[in-house]
Amino acid sequence: MLEFIFPNIVMCRAIEAMASASIACAILGVIVTRIGVSSIGFTMSHAAFAGGAIGLFLGIPVTIAAVCSSLLIAVLIGPISDRGRMSPDTTLGVLFSMSMAVAIFFIAWMQTTGNGMNATMLLYGNVTSLYQHEVYGLLIVSAIAALFVIVFYKEITAIIFHRKIAEASGINTSPIFYGLLFIIAISIALSLTIIGGLLIFVWLVTPAAIAYQFCRSLKGMFIVAPVVAICVSVAGAVAGISWSLPVAPLTAVIFALVFTFAILISPKRRITNSKS
Amino acid sequence: MPSANGNLVALDSIVTAYEGADRPSLHNVSLAIGHGEFVMVGGPNGSGKTTLLESIIGMLPITYGSANVCGFDVKKMGTDVRKRAGYVIQNFSFDPLTPFTAREVVMMGRYGKLGYFRRPGRHDAEVADRAMKTLEVEEFADKPIGTLSGGQQQKVLIAQNFAKEPELMLLDEPYSNLDLYSREYVSTVLAGLVKQGVSVVVVSHAFDGLPDHPIRALVTNEGSISLDRTCRADELESVVRAASHHPDNYA
Repeated sequence: MLEFIFPNIVMCRAIEAMASASIACAILGVIVTRIGVSSIGFTMSHAAFAGGAIGLFLGIPVTIAAVCSSLLIAVLIGPISDRGRMSPDTTLGVLFSMSMAVAIFFIAWMQTTGNGMNATMLLYGNVTSLYQHEVYGLLIVSAIAALFVIVFYKEITAIIFHRKIAEASGINTSPIFYGLLFIIAISIALSLTIIGGLLIFVWLVTPAAIAYQFCRSLKGMFIVAPVVAICVSVAGAVAGISWSLPVAPLTAVIFALVFTFAILISPKRRITNSKS
Repeated sequence: MPSANGNLVALDSIVTAYEGADRPSLHNVSLAIGHGEFVMVGGPNGSGKTTLLESIIGMLPITYGSANVCGFDVKKMGTDVRKRAGYVIQNFSFDPLTPFTAREVVMMGRYGKLGYFRRPGRHDAEVADRAMKTLEVEEFADKPIGTLSGGQQQKVLIAQNFAKEPELMLLDEPYSNLDLYSREYVSTVLAGLVKQGVSVVVVSHAFDGLPDHPIRALVTNEGSISLDRTCRADELESVVRAASHHPDNYA
C-alpha cells in the first residue's frame, strides 16, 4: 500500500503492519486503561501467546490458533469481570499464569525438537516476513475498533466514567463490555506475530497513557493515542530495519521513553504557583 | 406506563441475596409506593437499606417473590426500569484527572433513555441544562468533575438523575457530602419533584433540613421492613430511632 513512500518492500510491509496494529491497540487501549481493566489486556495477550505456541507446535496457522485461544479467554473473562462484586484480579492472575505456562511449555518442547527459532517470533514479533493479507486483516480490525467506538461512543464514555452509574442510568453495559472483549481478543491475536506475545501489552497501554498526560477530553484521547502509536511504531520500524535491530522490542523501548518524557512535561501534573 | 395496582413500586415478598452470602440480605419484603410519595428509609448499618434500593431498581438479583417498578417486571426488564427511575449511588470517587466535565456527566443521565444508536440532541441538551440549573451546578458545568468538591459532585450526580426526567427517584445518602444549606436546598428540590407526582425514596442518616411535607418513614432491620408509617419531618428522627434495633438504639 505504501510502496510509493517506502520503496524497500520489507520496510514498507513492516511500517504498514506496525501502523495497523497501533491503530487497533491504541483505540482499544484508551477504553481498557480508562475502565481500569488493563489486567484483562495483559491476560488476553498472554492467552494469544499460548494459542500461538500451541498452533506452532501442532503445525496449524499461528494467527488462527491465537484468535481461538484469545476468544476462549474472552469468554471466560467476561462473566468474571462482569460481576462487579467479585474482584477479578485473582482469577485473571490464574488465567495469565496458566497461559504463560502453556506457552513456555510448548516453546521449550519445540526447542528440544529443533523448532525453537520459530517460537521466538511469538515472543518478540517478526515484521520482516509478513504476508500482505496479515496487514489487511489488521487494518480491518482497526476499522472495526474505530467503528465500535464511533457507534457506541456515548455508552463507552458512560462506562468509562463509572460503570455502576452507567448501569443505573439505564444503559445495558454488558453487550458493550462483551463486544469490547471480542475486539480486543481479535486485535491482540492478529498483532501477535508482528509485535510478539510479551510486548503487545505495551501497545495496548502506553499510547493511551501518553495521551492521558495531555488530553482533557476523551475524544482527544481517542485521536492522540493512535497518532502517537503510529508515529512511535513507524519510527521504531524504520530505525529497527535500517540498523538491523529487533523492531518490536526497539519500538517498545521508544514507547517507554516517550511515556517518561510525557510524564515530565504533562500539563496535568503542573501545579499553579500564581496567586491569582 | 401504569404499574401494578397503580403503584410505582410493588414488591411482593421479595428475597435478595448477594453472591456467596450465606443468607439473604432482604427477606420477605413487601412494599407498595404510589405516585408523589416522599419516603425516607432509615435503620442501622447493614440492615438492608441500600439493598432495598438496588433491588427496586434491578441492580441486584431478586431470588424469590415478584417486583414491578414503573410498570416493568424488575427481574426481567431491569434496564427498562432504570431508564425511568433515577438512582443516586452512595459511594463514589472520581479521579481528579478524569476527562469528563460536570455537563457531560449530567448529559449521561439521558443516555439510557436514548438507547443505542441515538445521539443526544437539542432537547436532551435543554433538559440537561434545566437539571443543572435546578441543582445550581451551572457555574461549574464546564469543570472536570474530578476537580469538584464532594458536595458539588453529589449535586452533579443528582442533576444527572434529574436529567433522566424520572418517574421515581432513589437516593442513597444524598446528604452525606452536603453542607446544611445544600441539604435544605436539595430537600426542597426533591419536594418539588414529589409535587409533580414523582416518588422520592431517600436512604439517609441525616434528618435535618427536610421539607415541610408529610414523610413516609420506612425502617429496615436485619433485611426486613420493621416500620412503615407517615409522619411530619420534625418527628422523623425520633420515629426512626425508636424503630431501629441497634445496640445503642441507632446512635
